[in-house]
Amino acid sequence: MRQKRNDFNYRVGKVIVCAVVLFVLIGCVYTPYDPNGMNGALKNAAPSLAHPFGTDNFGRDVLSRVMKGAGTTFFVGLCTVAIGGIIGTLLGAVTGYYGGLFDEILMRLNDGLTSFPSILLALVFVSILGPGKYNIILALGIIFIPSFARVVRSEYITQKQMDYVKNAKLMGASDFRIMFVHILPNTRPILLSSLTIGFNNAVLAEAGMSYLSLGVQPPDASLGRMLSEAQAYLFSAPWVALAPGILIVLTVLGFSMVNEDAG
Amino acid sequence: MKYLVKKLITLIITLLLVSCAAFIAFQVIPGDSVTLALGTDFTEEAAEQMREELGLNRSIPARFADWMAGAVRGDFGTSSQYKQPVSQLIADRLPVTIWLAVLSMLMITVISVPLGILAAKSSGGILDRMITLITQITMAIPPFFLGIILTLVCGILLSWFTPGKYVAPDKDFSAFLHYMIFPAMAVSIPKIAMVVKFLRGSVLRQLSLDYVRTARSKGNKESAVLVRHVLKNALIPVVTFLAMVTADVLAGSIIIEQVFNLPGLGRLLVVSISNRDFAVVQAIILYIAFVVVLINFLVDLLYRWLDPRVE
Amino acid sequence: MSERMYENIQENIRKNPGGRPEKNTGENRREGSDLLLAVRNLSVAFPGGKREATVVDTISFSLRTGEVLGIVGESGSGKSMTALALMGLLKKGAVRSADAILFDGKDLNRVSAEEYRDIRGRSMAMIFQEPMTSLNPVYTVGNQVEEMLKLHAHLSKEERKQKTIQAFEEAGIRDSAEVWGKYPHQLSGGQRQRVMIAMAMICEPKLLIADEPTTALDVTIQARILALIKKLNREHGTAVILISHDLGVIRNICDRTLVMYQGKIVERGSIEEIFSNPKENYTRTLLDAVPGIHKRDDAKAAGAYGTAAAEYRDILVSVRDLTVAYKGNKEGLFGRRRVTEAVSHIDFDIYKGEILGLVGESGCGKSTTAKAIAGLIDSYTGTITPDNRKPQMVFQDPYGSLNPCKTIGWILEEPLKMQGMKRAVDRVAKAKELLAEVGLPVEYAARYPRDLSGGQRQRVAIAAALITGPQLLILDEPVSALDVTVQAQILDLLQRIRRQHNLTYLFISHDMNVIYQICDRVCVMTQGTIVETAAPRELIANPKHEYTRQLLASVPE
Repeated sequence: MRQKRNDFNYRVGKVIVCAVVLFVLIGCVYTPYDPNGMNGALKNAAPSLAHPFGTDNFGRDVLSRVMKGAGTTFFVGLCTVAIGGIIGTLLGAVTGYYGGLFDEILMRLNDGLTSFPSILLALVFVSILGPGKYNIILALGIIFIPSFARVVRSEYITQKQMDYVKNAKLMGASDFRIMFVHILPNTRPILLSSLTIGFNNAVLAEAGMSYLSLGVQPPDASLGRMLSEAQAYLFSAPWVALAPGILIVLTVLGFSMVNEDAG
Repeated sequence: MKYLVKKLITLIITLLLVSCAAFIAFQVIPGDSVTLALGTDFTEEAAEQMREELGLNRSIPARFADWMAGAVRGDFGTSSQYKQPVSQLIADRLPVTIWLAVLSMLMITVISVPLGILAAKSSGGILDRMITLITQITMAIPPFFLGIILTLVCGILLSWFTPGKYVAPDKDFSAFLHYMIFPAMAVSIPKIAMVVKFLRGSVLRQLSLDYVRTARSKGNKESAVLVRHVLKNALIPVVTFLAMVTADVLAGSIIIEQVFNLPGLGRLLVVSISNRDFAVVQAIILYIAFVVVLINFLVDLLYRWLDPRVE
Repeated sequence: MSERMYENIQENIRKNPGGRPEKNTGENRREGSDLLLAVRNLSVAFPGGKREATVVDTISFSLRTGEVLGIVGESGSGKSMTALALMGLLKKGAVRSADAILFDGKDLNRVSAEEYRDIRGRSMAMIFQEPMTSLNPVYTVGNQVEEMLKLHAHLSKEERKQKTIQAFEEAGIRDSAEVWGKYPHQLSGGQRQRVMIAMAMICEPKLLIADEPTTALDVTIQARILALIKKLNREHGTAVILISHDLGVIRNICDRTLVMYQGKIVERGSIEEIFSNPKENYTRTLLDAVPGIHKRDDAKAAGAYGTAAAEYRDILVSVRDLTVAYKGNKEGLFGRRRVTEAVSHIDFDIYKGEILGLVGESGCGKSTTAKAIAGLIDSYTGTITPDNRKPQMVFQDPYGSLNPCKTIGWILEEPLKMQGMKRAVDRVAKAKELLAEVGLPVEYAARYPRDLSGGQRQRVAIAAALITGPQLLILDEPVSALDVTVQAQILDLLQRIRRQHNLTYLFISHDMNVIYQICDRVCVMTQGTIVETAAPRELIANPKHEYTRQLLASVPE
């Protein structure tokens, strides 16, 4: 649809995203070792042919753990974006299209919420709900609603003033039809872009929370959690920290490169 | 003047609402906080006594009034974990967090503004491409992973500092600053990338506008066009963006304090959340929220001063 | 012609190196000796990339001191690029080449960047189409005009301010001392353009380039700005290059004009020559396409379409005491909303079968009236009868009125779905039928709006409006966004369709020429009220209201 699609950034980004997604998908069905299987004889072993990313202080295979952990991180990211995206789009569409008092109240609330860093809000939620995978999803999902609502709302405000919407009204289309059949497809580029950004932010937030031991709980592996465990052995086994960290960087980089070009 | 008064009233209302939210949020905690705090020491009498001590057996509005009255005087109650006044705990740890934030913001503004302008000026050239590539990569690095890399490279491999060996500022200030540079770098590098990208975009957007052509048609030098005409326009959105960055820096330092083992507010917050020490959590959240609201207020004023179009 | 002038000016330079021609007045026009600008074989191209394009193709022309030269052409003809090339202000990626651009004794091809900067502003100044965006929003206009003096003169701060205020006064700005401290957004469009003119003229340049200086302004203000440019030209002997797509504007103040088409000069000559005896076909189409009150013979205007209102007796829509008020923004948290009346107590009838024109400047309330009749505004007082009128609308901007995400076919079928036409085959057949009727190939059903030109889009918009079979069509500036040649085609299409479908039009325009050409009756609107209603011929022959006279006077002859 866009001409710039062949741009360098987009191509490189696409390759990275495909590679990371493939890696995670394989991790869902197959890992070379049991991600939680300990091996006392092989503590903090350096990368080798048998263990390409080495082993950690319990002798667990880092590659297998990263595959599994990335799966958890992706799962959290996707669920978060789904919650935030769907509710945010609905709210944004309705408030943007109709305006009025409801819109005003909601947007004031929205302005207030988005001025706070999401990690801080996540900490508040977790301190109330308690840590855990599903609590993190719920917390991040709710926290991401305002940013989606805001983007979609402003798009609806612009679009509803366009003459094609007036035409649709004149021919007798219902508000529902105008909102979701006529206008929604026009918000696609901006919606896709904010979904990508949202996913990246969710990955970073999950990693941060798990790093603080407030996110995903053991025995579930997650990239952030692996990093916090690895830090104690940074001197003797730096590879345990590097593998999950680099995977996070690649994921975020890939999606942002693809998005850069689309947006 | 009228504007300032209005803004001040809005500020006070916002602060009240934020306090209210911070208080109510911690009233909906599933399970009884006293039961949780006592843990294995739980007996009916002990719980009753603790409720009495903490004033938990009164109505919510009454407790809110008490809490607010205390908060205004700087009294946030007693920590169940440390058995110390919350205000004392916060006061002890505040300087570290403030220093971290100040150092980070300093690095961000000093480095990113020139870099952003440079990138925009050489737009499309080698320099611009390099800056863009580096910013793109650094933006993808989570700050705590950057902290780990810094520890690994600068601490372990290059021995520029000893990981985990934090020195208190009142003991040896220069050693303190020396150590703080690295966590400040971890906080600021991703933000520098963000600001550079934002500023570059802002300058480029301005450069494409008609008034730039007018400025050139007057016979201005290219550098005068950039500095006199474009920069002021380009910085207006950046100011708002910096407010967001400041809030992010505060949040980022919560995690970075963990990475570098700094005894700051963030670390206190995380430990208190794990221990369900709600008096402390509530106070710190309120404190950070207040700072965020205040920064936004100040930026609003700055924005108005910079942009004559805002009525 | 240019050959000889070119030789002449070279001669001049040889005789008098570095010397400046003495100040000339407009009357002094000897051949050759007072030549200010000679351009020989100027080209502007965007090389490289997939879309290599030459936008200005080896053109040559010259200009005498004190002369007003018009450059006319449709959008994309290369006229603005020519101006920017002269100023040395082409965007990155555009390459200028020329055998010579001799200006005021210097060859602009050979001057250093520094010398060029000094020429810009001091001896060659430019004003642009959009006075809002052409001024820096964060500095006061006084500051911005003063900058010219900072760059090109050695004056004290006080002197600069004094001179700036003088320049404002000369540009016809009232309360010039007060305006000095205002920001661009606080001024009206006309005032901003006057500021731009003051800025351009403050160093008394030898050449003023005006690129569509009046296009963004209302018609009554247009005429005043043109008069100001002419006045400055006479008083200071400043040569002017006036660039416009509007032959009327060119005719108004130019001595000579060039006609540009696809980067080339296709015709040149004095205004009288061009208008009375155009040689090129393109110039003729351009002249024919201008819907002109003064050009068109009355028989055609009134005989073909326009007839006295007496012929139409059945009232289709009746508007009584219509008032539409807008609530302004609240002032702060506790302030009250200011209520402004966009339309205030108007009455009129639309007769079955007629084309009723609604003319006025932007902001006069004509579009609001249209929306109220269309049913897009609910909050009005007064009555519009009957209730079941269900008109369709065609809007000004053919880019915005078609959903960019949908194919032309989808857009045409959507109203049929609303009407309950269940079978897709029927809908497709009907859509194709309509495409053919508005003169578009049926294959266009599969295309997206972005694949079509402005005129084609407007045809689709007309087809979409027809598809539900309305009795009344409201046309809100339907041709204002189009080039003149396309305008004429669309107006013809509208006439044909009206006859075939027995439609009634409410035709809204700011352009008296278009209104005159198509309407049976005209309502003149200003400030929310209708001040006069008459047949167009009558209106022109015998305008009763003061505002109508103003409006007519401002139409470029």
